[in-house]
Amino acid sequence: MNFTKVIFYLLLIAAIVSGVYFYSRVFGYIAMAMVLSYLLDPLVSWVERRHLPRWMAVLCVYLGILGVLAWLSLRFVPDLVRQGRGLIDIMQTNTPGGENLLVTLPFLRDVYQLLLNLDKQLPNLDLAAQFLTFLASAQTFLSTLPQTILDNYSEIIGAVSYVGTVPLISFFLLKDKVLFRKAMVAAASNRYFELVIIFMNKIDETVGRYMRAMLLEVIAVSIMVSIALTAIGVPNAVLIGVVAGVANIIPYFGPFMGAGVAILTVLVNGSPSIMILWVALTMYLVQVIDNNIVYPVVVGTTINMHPLIVLLTVLAGGWFGGILWMLISVPLVYICYSMLRVIYVNLREFRLL
Amino acid sequence: MNIKEYIRWLGKIIRKPDSFEAIKRISIFADLNSFQLHELNNYLHTRHYKAGEVIFEQGYPLDAIFFIIAGEVRVSGKLSGSDPITLRENDFIGIIDMFHEGTRSSTAMAVTEVNALAISRSDLTNLIARDKDMGLKILGAICRYLSSLNFSKSV
Repeated sequence: MNFTKVIFYLLLIAAIVSGVYFYSRVFGYIAMAMVLSYLLDPLVSWVERRHLPRWMAVLCVYLGILGVLAWLSLRFVPDLVRQGRGLIDIMQTNTPGGENLLVTLPFLRDVYQLLLNLDKQLPNLDLAAQFLTFLASAQTFLSTLPQTILDNYSEIIGAVSYVGTVPLISFFLLKDKVLFRKAMVAAASNRYFELVIIFMNKIDETVGRYMRAMLLEVIAVSIMVSIALTAIGVPNAVLIGVVAGVANIIPYFGPFMGAGVAILTVLVNGSPSIMILWVALTMYLVQVIDNNIVYPVVVGTTINMHPLIVLLTVLAGGWFGGILWMLISVPLVYICYSMLRVIYVNLREFRLL
Repeated sequence: MNIKEYIRWLGKIIRKPDSFEAIKRISIFADLNSFQLHELNNYLHTRHYKAGEVIFEQGYPLDAIFFIIAGEVRVSGKLSGSDPITLRENDFIGIIDMFHEGTRSSTAMAVTEVNALAISRSDLTNLIARDKDMGLKILGAICRYLSSLNFSKSV
């Protein structure tokens, strides 16, 4: 290797390192934008095939989605807010007499009574008092939540700028998809040209199909749970539906979380105990429909992940970055795994491994 | 400058150069309309090979179909029998194998400098699946191409 080459490669490495450092803050945006583009691409291509320029197709899809979101928020957000407010009201009230308002919730009152009875029978146990202390600390945490939000305004502004920037980046990714693909293929040397095309197509297909299927699943389960719970008269049905839909991203355990939230709501609202059975039955029915009709049609192939690996992944995600990471850890690990598999299989076929 | 000249001059500025000229020259795409050409162009990749460079080798996975725009390619392997065959401008490699082969049955090497267009077979089949009319036109053109061939020479 001659001197010029060494200098050039050193410069190249320096440029890459400083580039990664300089752009490190926007990698998150790009990742989000890529997810959004994957979700919207079939829709954009469909509109484009109606003989529209691609940029106009992207705009049409954006406007369509904005319309749907506007309609949804007009139709459902007041419901969600009303359903959520009841809970927040209870949690934020600081009653002057020092009496804990959480205890007035029917379910918690039952527990409190039970503990009081226990205390009577077993002296020095003092469970009821401890229960009250625990409730008080829970209430303090919940009542300081708005203050916490105010204190962390910079993060919230960050989140808002996310919402503004990601669709913009995604617009260019969608509009110039062909340009990016061609540039990537053009960069490959003749020897690896076919390999690069195969990589791109297979990864595109696997990742794109999986992400779109995920979105459809969330929507389908949310709608089914909302309708089913409304039908049997559970309060906050839409809110539970959305939570259950999102929790459904986690295989095996997600459905139980959704059912747990539903049953908890029934308990907190003091509905008759038989409702718990009805709710459990309904959630089970939704899962049966989802697993046997929606999932095979939408996703096609199932995720072949052992429940233990799912559990460990969710736990690791939780330790890594909280609830959000618990939700995205399984899809993320699955996508990384399938990408690695595509790369491995094709490197073997091209006798490079 | 009178009005007619002015309009002609304006037309010359507005009219873009035909970006699909190279694709239209390939016989199997000759019948496609401009929108189909645009769709096809999205998936076509331009490749350039030096004289003596291997384009693909026997036994490797088959994914790309090549259309020769300029230059000569020598193909040797199972299909060509004992003598290698030489393919030239507007010929194509791989379109017949693409439906039933997973691996290359022959080796192709650039004899002279070669400019080629390439498309992934999954991209092409997706395009045809979406646009049946395009598939029919390509099928017709392939049949014309085959009937014009001397059948002692296979593709």
